[in-house]
Amino acid sequence: MIKIIIITLFALYLPQTKALEPLGEEELQQVLGQGGVYLSGDITINETGGPLNDMSDTTNPGIWQVDCSVGSTNQRCGARLAVNAGDDSNSGWLVLDNIRGRFSFEGLTLKTRTIDSGFDDGGNGDSDGAVFDGDVLEIGLPNTLNYSDVSFTLANSNSARPTDAGFQQTDILNVNIDGDISLRGNLLLFPTGNP
Amino acid sequence: MNIKSLVFSSITLSLSSSCLALQALDDESLSVVQGQAGLTVEQSRLLNIDELTYSDDGNGLTVEGLRFSSQTSVDEVAHRTYVLDVSQDGALRVQTEIKPTQMHIDAIRINNSAGSFGDFTLNYEAVSNFSMKGMTNGGFEGDFEIGISNAQLIWETNGHALTFENIGYNASVDNYTFEYDVIDNTKSFTRTGLDLGMDNFDFSFSTGAVTLGGVSLGELSGDLALSANLQIFGGGRYGDEGLTLHSQVDILSNPDNYVRFTDYDASGQGNSLSMEDFSGEINLTNLTLDVESDHLAIGFDQLEGSFEAGTILIGDSTKSIGSIELDFLLNDDAINDRYNRFQLYPGITQPVFDDMPDEIKSYAESFYQDLDANSEGISIAAQWNLANADLSYIDDGRRVIFSGIKSFGSADTTIDVRDKTLAIGISNLKGSYSIDGLKVGDSDAPLQGGAELLLSLEVYQAMDFDLDGYTEITAGGADGGGIRIDGDYYFSNTNIGLSVDENGQGIWATDVKYDIHLRDITFDVEADGLKINRGEQWSTMDIANLRWGEKDSGRSLGRVKLERFEQGSSLAIMPGGAGQVCVGASAADEASCGSSGGRWEDRGEQGMTIALKAAFANAGSTTDGTATARNRLTWENNRVETSAGSGEYISDSGTQIIFDNYSTNDGRGTSDTNDYGFQANLSIDVYETKVLKKTDEDDVNGVSGDFGDELIYDNIGTVDDPIRGNSYSYVASPTEEQEALRPLGFAVKGNISFKELNIDAVQLKHPDIATPQTVFYGVVMQNLNLTTNLTATPIQ
Repeated sequence: MIKIIIITLFALYLPQTKALEPLGEEELQQVLGQGGVYLSGDITINETGGPLNDMSDTTNPGIWQVDCSVGSTNQRCGARLAVNAGDDSNSGWLVLDNIRGRFSFEGLTLKTRTIDSGFDDGGNGDSDGAVFDGDVLEIGLPNTLNYSDVSFTLANSNSARPTDAGFQQTDILNVNIDGDISLRGNLLLFPTGNP
Repeated sequence: MNIKSLVFSSITLSLSSSCLALQALDDESLSVVQGQAGLTVEQSRLLNIDELTYSDDGNGLTVEGLRFSSQTSVDEVAHRTYVLDVSQDGALRVQTEIKPTQMHIDAIRINNSAGSFGDFTLNYEAVSNFSMKGMTNGGFEGDFEIGISNAQLIWETNGHALTFENIGYNASVDNYTFEYDVIDNTKSFTRTGLDLGMDNFDFSFSTGAVTLGGVSLGELSGDLALSANLQIFGGGRYGDEGLTLHSQVDILSNPDNYVRFTDYDASGQGNSLSMEDFSGEINLTNLTLDVESDHLAIGFDQLEGSFEAGTILIGDSTKSIGSIELDFLLNDDAINDRYNRFQLYPGITQPVFDDMPDEIKSYAESFYQDLDANSEGISIAAQWNLANADLSYIDDGRRVIFSGIKSFGSADTTIDVRDKTLAIGISNLKGSYSIDGLKVGDSDAPLQGGAELLLSLEVYQAMDFDLDGYTEITAGGADGGGIRIDGDYYFSNTNIGLSVDENGQGIWATDVKYDIHLRDITFDVEADGLKINRGEQWSTMDIANLRWGEKDSGRSLGRVKLERFEQGSSLAIMPGGAGQVCVGASAADEASCGSSGGRWEDRGEQGMTIALKAAFANAGSTTDGTATARNRLTWENNRVETSAGSGEYISDSGTQIIFDNYSTNDGRGTSDTNDYGFQANLSIDVYETKVLKKTDEDDVNGVSGDFGDELIYDNIGTVDDPIRGNSYSYVASPTEEQEALRPLGFAVKGNISFKELNIDAVQLKHPDIATPQTVFYGVVMQNLNLTTNLTATPIQ
């Protein structure tokens, strides 16, 4: 499950920059007895806050203590990712803060298959598929990816946690996305180079 | 010893003891006998047999110190009464009442072996009632009833006991037949044997508790009814003597059938794992038993059967997780040299430590350090070959089949009881298993992918491996009774199929070395499900190559090494799936879900929910101080080949990216508590799923449809009771009836959350430098609460 979600999240951000074409029937006919998984559904992040907002567990209450009922816009209700890309304690943190929203999709597929033909080069020698002659992990992109009130804040901070002493943060920009994105085609993942 | 001799010896032994203590009735007793029929025999028995030997081709299985006595003193007699009568139909009827009796065996050895299987004690009292009369064509028949109560079975090795307390057993057979006329031609000659038939053999059993060192593991109970036929022949698999048995067993369908394990918590509240409503059949061919020079050899040619449990309960007695069906075939495969054989050696046969991998050698030596050649226990050299099995899981009437399950291998195992501990050592296990794939709907459905879904439970689709593992089981879970496990395990020469087809192609983790250490792992059945607390565990999974395609020759992504260190993790399995959910929107009812753009799904009452908490610990020493451990993920490539073109690479010779010392905490950093951990809650149902066509072209099976059309199976049932056929079409706008014919898949309502997941450093390491260079000096992720409503459908 975790792997599926990770791969799904991975797919949400990468496909727009790729230009792989849909497979034709010739390529599809090379699929020999192999199967996979067809995924549909939604992923929602921090709709009513996260565990650091949750005060219901009295034995281990959340330390951020912010009311995050549906519709709350408090910045501390979202998930937070802080990365120190500098020089340890001498530098600040790049932060993706207040990450919230829902992604829904139909038809993300995961399968492995063999490519040993197709991807023709226009008749000048062997096809790219025949030259490749190997197996790939195919991530079939969903037809439609819906963003519902997806938002995050890009910021700089002097420490990793809002609860750290002397915490200061400068927000650079806020992003909010609603709407549908049409995604067609496949991501093919396969090893290359020297292992 | 042939079968007739064995039977007559047993009868003689039984009756001879009754001759020992017949007492004359005095005049006073005789004076009250008025018109009574039959014969009453009162017996007082104190029986001591120094040695009782079963001889097979010159090899002797010896029972030493066999004793029947009273339970209060080994020097006192035990009492029993027989009432014999002849009924009007000519049947002899014998009623027996056995007063509290103790049967004890000092040791069981083979050819005077130094080690023995341990000593056994059975305390019991019983009443029985059986009849027998001759049959027209020879043999005899009758009925049989027995009730055993207040029984206690003790198995003791090296002074330590495993005890089954307060055993109760009741059985009845409506009609049994006993004939000596069955013919067997499975060997190179013809032989005649005993034919035993049982019609409606109904039995129930219960144990008050299974205890180790006086602490309860839990209680076992059950109620089954079956009809069976057994054929027994003289002559085993090896030599001229021994035993051979065939059997055909029908488990009679009855909603009252059950097998149950009950765990009592500290307050005395009992919670059960239960399988109910059994039916099925099991056929066994050529089960053989031979005594060899140093072991008891047991084997069978074929065991096939089917088994159905209509109700599975975990904790909550009101909520079933669904039902299961299992079809299986274990048989000999001479071509591939795979058999089902078990060799039982008396005593503990220790492995050859110098032949073991260094990673497990010291743990094995420590495990056996207090045992020697004279120690009591059981050693088993086993081979198995599961030729095929199909396991169906049925959730609210929707079926998914894990199809083509195969497994074979061999292992050396030792079992002995220690101080409050049951010790199980497995050495030199060479095993393999695989699952072809999934079928949905029925067994005629085409094989599909999707077994990858088991990865969420850390169950791999295929695996071949060598394993050495040493487990100590103690009684008492986290609360009251239950089971506690400590163990050390090492997988080597291991290949793991992460996503593979029935031809073995896919994504493989190859040449894996997996070192696992478990401490204080407890299993408890609680009111809301099964709870596994993982006190502490540390492991290293070192994957030499992550390959795409063939297991041996596929392209490699490089080496992946995953080190784990967890303290206070847990896993709970609870009945009931997601119930009613709104996919794609937030809503509490069907109308508002639809108006918000979502899809309302009622996934039924059955299903299961898995709650996982992984508390990743900060780097440091393990509690017992034997190791230092951390959580770290390393990916290495551009390695040096061991020799040009070999396809094998030298670890740590390439470039690495390292995610070092990742851990969870409660939000204030690594110095904070770590009670929340990384939590994943998954509610899993089998449910109709929406599968849309992704191109305008014909699909892989030549079925046409437009982009976005929905896959709908053809109905081979009725409108009111639709049944999916194996053919399908694409429909632009399915009707409500057609929606019931959508493909089945897994519906997973998931939630992943953590307060803080901290990565100390992300590093790069070049082979020419000793110390990795840091890219990120820290990654801190906080306050994530990610929920999913996913349906995962196997596809071709």
